[in-house]
Order: sequence, then C-alpha cells, then structure tokens
Amino acid sequence: MARRRSASEVSYALVVGGLATLALVILIGPVLVVLATSFTDSRSIRFPPQGFSFRWYELLLDEVRSRQIHRAAGNTLHVAALAAGLATLGGTAAALALAEARGRWARVADAFFMSPLVLPGLAFGLAALMYFTLLGFRPSLELLVCGHLIVVVPFVLRTVGASLSQRDPALLDASASLGASRLYTFRRVTLPLIAPGIAAGGFLAFMASVDQVPVSLFLSSARTDMLPIRMWGMMESTLDVRVAAVSGTLIFVAFVLMLVMERFTGLTKRMRG
Amino acid sequence: MPAPAVPLRGHTLDVDALTVRYGGFTALDAVSLSVAAGEIVALLGPSGCGKTTLLRTVAGFITQASGRVSIDGAGIDDLPANRRRVGIVFQNYALFPHMSVADNVAYGLHARGERGPKANARVAELLEMVQLGAMAQRRPAQLSGGQQQRVALARALAIEPSILLLDEPFAALDRSLRLDMQMEIKRLQRQLGLTAILVTHDQDEAMSVADRIAVMQRGRIDQLGTPVEVYDHPATPFVAGFIGTTNRLPGTATAEGITLHAGATLALPHTLPPGSAAMLTVRPEQLTLASDPAPNAWPVTLGLAVPLGGQTVREVRCTDGTALRLTEPRRGAIRDLGASAHCRLAPGASPTLFPHTEE
Repeated sequence: MARRRSASEVSYALVVGGLATLALVILIGPVLVVLATSFTDSRSIRFPPQGFSFRWYELLLDEVRSRQIHRAAGNTLHVAALAAGLATLGGTAAALALAEARGRWARVADAFFMSPLVLPGLAFGLAALMYFTLLGFRPSLELLVCGHLIVVVPFVLRTVGASLSQRDPALLDASASLGASRLYTFRRVTLPLIAPGIAAGGFLAFMASVDQVPVSLFLSSARTDMLPIRMWGMMESTLDVRVAAVSGTLIFVAFVLMLVMERFTGLTKRMRG
Repeated sequence: MPAPAVPLRGHTLDVDALTVRYGGFTALDAVSLSVAAGEIVALLGPSGCGKTTLLRTVAGFITQASGRVSIDGAGIDDLPANRRRVGIVFQNYALFPHMSVADNVAYGLHARGERGPKANARVAELLEMVQLGAMAQRRPAQLSGGQQQRVALARALAIEPSILLLDEPFAALDRSLRLDMQMEIKRLQRQLGLTAILVTHDQDEAMSVADRIAVMQRGRIDQLGTPVEVYDHPATPFVAGFIGTTNRLPGTATAEGITLHAGATLALPHTLPPGSAAMLTVRPEQLTLASDPAPNAWPVTLGLAVPLGGQTVREVRCTDGTALRLTEPRRGAIRDLGASAHCRLAPGASPTLFPHTEE
C-alpha cells in the first residue's frame, strides 16, 4: 500500500523495532556464544573459539572420564521426571478443584500454590533443608523430588487453570442434559479439552526441574549430585570446556522438546493464559 | 424427509408457584405455567426478566427456593439434571468442539451406554432428519452457524427428550437464516409432537414460532396467551409496550370511554372509574388519518413518512405534543410534511385502556 507515513509512525516503528532487536540480541546472543564455544579446539572457555572440533562432546560422552557428569545428569533426569510427573497429577487435580470452587478459600489456596514462583528460591531451599533435617530426613533423591515438586507445581496449575477457564461452561450443562454423569463428563469433555494444557504444564515443570539450582543447592549431597550444581562446580574449579558442551546439549534438547510441544499443544499460547 | 422410527409423544410440563432467589434477589416470583403436550410456549421478555432462570430451573441446573416442576404430573424436582431427559438447544449451541458431528449427536446415547449398530442407525437417522448426513465426520468448527444449530437440535433429540428447551437458539444466526431455522424447528416440533419452551427476547421470533407466549417482567409472567391475544389485547401496559409498536395517548376516563388530552372523545368499553387518569395504548395500524374534523378525531401535524413494504409508517404530532406512529396504505394520497390532518381510530379497532400511572 503506497501511503506516506507520518514522522510519529516512523519513530514509533524505530523504537519498537529497536527494542525488539535489543531483546533478541540479549536473549539469543548468549545462546549462540555458548554454542560456538562448545565447539572450540582449545583447552579454555574463551570467545571467540579457536578452531573447530567435537572433542569436548566426545569427552563428555566418555563413560569413564565423565562419570560424575553422567551420574549428575542421571539424578537430574530422575528427579525431574518424578517431580514433573507428580506435579502434573497434583497440579491438575488442584486446578480442577480450584476451578469448581468459588469463594475466598479457593483464592487463598490458589495464591498459596502459586507462591513458590515469587518466593526467593534460596530462602525456600534453606527453609526446606532445615525443615527436612528437623524431621530427621537425610539428603536423598526423594527429598530432592519433594523440594522440586513444590517449586514446579505452579507451572501445571497455571497452564491447566488457563485451559479450564477457556472451557465453555455450557458444555458441562449440555453434557448433563444429555444424561451424562459427572465422571463421564470429565472423561469425555473436560479431559480432552484440557489435555494440551496438562501436557504443556508437565513439560514446563520438567524443564524447570532440570534447570532448578537454589533448591538443589541445599538439598543435594555428594551422592545426589545434580547437573546444574556439578556444572557450577566444574566452572569454579577447572574452567572445564565440557561445561559449554553440556550447555550446548541442554540447549539442543530443550529446543527440540519445545518444537515438539509447540506442534502438539501450542505451548506459547498456553503460557500466555 | 424420513420420520423417526419411534415418533415421540408429547409430554405435559407444569410449573407451579416456582420461586428462585439469588442471594437477596428474587429472579422468579411464584411463577406458574402449564404447557400442553405438543405445545410450544415462548418465554418472552427483556434481559433479567427471569426467562432464562425459568428454563435453567426446568433443566435442573438451578434449584428453586420453593414451588414444583412436573412432567406428565410427576415431580422432577429431586432429579439431577442428567436424569431429567430434558433436551436443550443452547444459545451458542455448546457443541463439543473436539468431537465429530456424529459423535456429538451420539453423545447422549453413549452416555447411557447405548452403543453398537442400533445407536449408529439412530444417529444416522437424526442427521438425515436435520439434513446433515454428509457432514457426519466434520468437526463443529467446520460448519456454518445454521448447520451447528441443526447438530445441536439433533443431539438434543437423540435422547428422546420429554421436553425440548430452546435457549435463544436463533440469536447467533444471520437475519436471513433465522426465519429458515425458525420454520424448520417449528416443523420438526410439530412432526415429532414435541413439547417445547422457547426463551427469547425477540418478539417476532416468539410470534412466529410459539403457540402461546408468556410475556415476562421482573420474575413474573405478565400475560400468557396466543400471539394474537397478546398483540391485540395486552393485559398490562408493559406487554403493550414490549410487543409491537405502541402509541400511548393520555386522557381522562369517562362513563363511555375516554377524553383524550389531544382533543377527542372516544367511545370504548373499559372498567376504569369515570374521571380517573387513563392511558390509551393503540397500535399503529389501529389509527387512520382523515381530512375532515369529527368529534372522534383529533387534530395532528404530519411528520416524516417511511415506506415499509406495502405500507407507509407515518409520524404525526398531536396538539398536546404527543408523537404518534401510524401506518397508512402507500397508494393513498401523499400528504405533505407539516400539513394538518385529523387522526382517528380505524374502523373496528378496539385498543386497550389502562389506568394512567406515572412511571
């Protein structure tokens, strides 16, 4: 459309475009830097990388020399799978109960479940450690699952809650008028409609658990080493380039999972809910 | 169009002194209504009049404070919504978006555990009945508004409901499609002998579909009657104002009729005490224009005329400032804007007199 643009339109486009570019640079820049660094041929983490090789990825896959990293990764996946699984079940149940309930206690409960999102992770990690120790528990993977569960439940609660609020209440009336019991309505109407929200919440909970540092910091021990903690330790002691390789792997896996989730559930749409 | 294998028999619906309260607000105030077998009754009124509350209470979604709802004489108040066998066509159809058209229609059968060839045949038969046999595997989102409504109707009929409730079913349709669907629903209702309740705020819809109309206001039924009765003999000023276009002429009741402030004395039967303030409500087609003065005609100044189909709608102003609307045949003499004329009742017109209360 050939139309003259006014000065204010041009300056508006410049400001918005400039901010968007800045945001992209800040978001994508570090990812590209760490990816590039992970393919370096040198022995130090430095940008720009010198040479190109897969040597750090090969070392990372070496079962003997990267045994500790493998164990930490195994622990992390174990905890993330359990925490995300339990969070999906519990969060969905809680979201359903909160959607049915009206009144003040429901809003209080909702705020309570969501509070780990705003509560400083370090404070919660310390509190959890003191509390669990007081109860006589030793650091274990189960304890880590408990800690992670609390901080990842909000993701499920939010995405499932958003799905439920988008469900037309008339559908429930329609189902009842057609002779369906509450259970039948849940199975045939509610569950299929909120399934993408449940999947998106589970995915977000899983990624949040994999990425979780503050709670792991307090609740993990040498036996229950977690990947982010191990990476931090490697950075502190040896500036090991394998940290960049681990980061590269995590970025790649997260990217692929994200594409899959986007394809099946419209993840970004649900996170806005 | 094939008739269903088992023709549905009409059931009677009785609503007896039904009261529904939301907190301190009385949504339904001791409403009673009897719907005969095979009859379709429209609940007509502005939003907030209680018509939707009445429908939802019959459906079992709302529990009344007092009163009874019975079908074929048996109370259904203790039955939950899913045991009432009341079919509903919702305002936005409320089709299950994740199911095919056929699965939507089959939903009520499946919920009752009816599966297999017999249920499938019933679904196919219903889809044929609403002329959607070719659309069985489509999703609701792929259908037009009119088609979605047919699916909603077929789904409600699948459970062989004793009563069919229609909740503003035409509101979301285009004007041109609306009349088609009104005719179709009325035809199906007749063909199947269904007892039905139509909730609407559209008087034309109520007039064209219903056997009787219940005009509702503030949780009560102001008048229950055939469309002709409600239109020609409104029971209250509200009904007169809500149904059709109504002119209001203030005056004073006399022993034989009314003396209008506009300057004429009309002979009309009424029950008001002579000398009391009265209000004549009169339809546009009950008024006519004349050139010559007469005792039963009052002077008016002609205003704008708008052609409307075979008639012209004319605005006139009385000497006391009251504006009136009346219809005149288009072929009549075209009178000028601002000209003087005389207005009187058309021959045979019997408008209604109400006591004049300040509103």
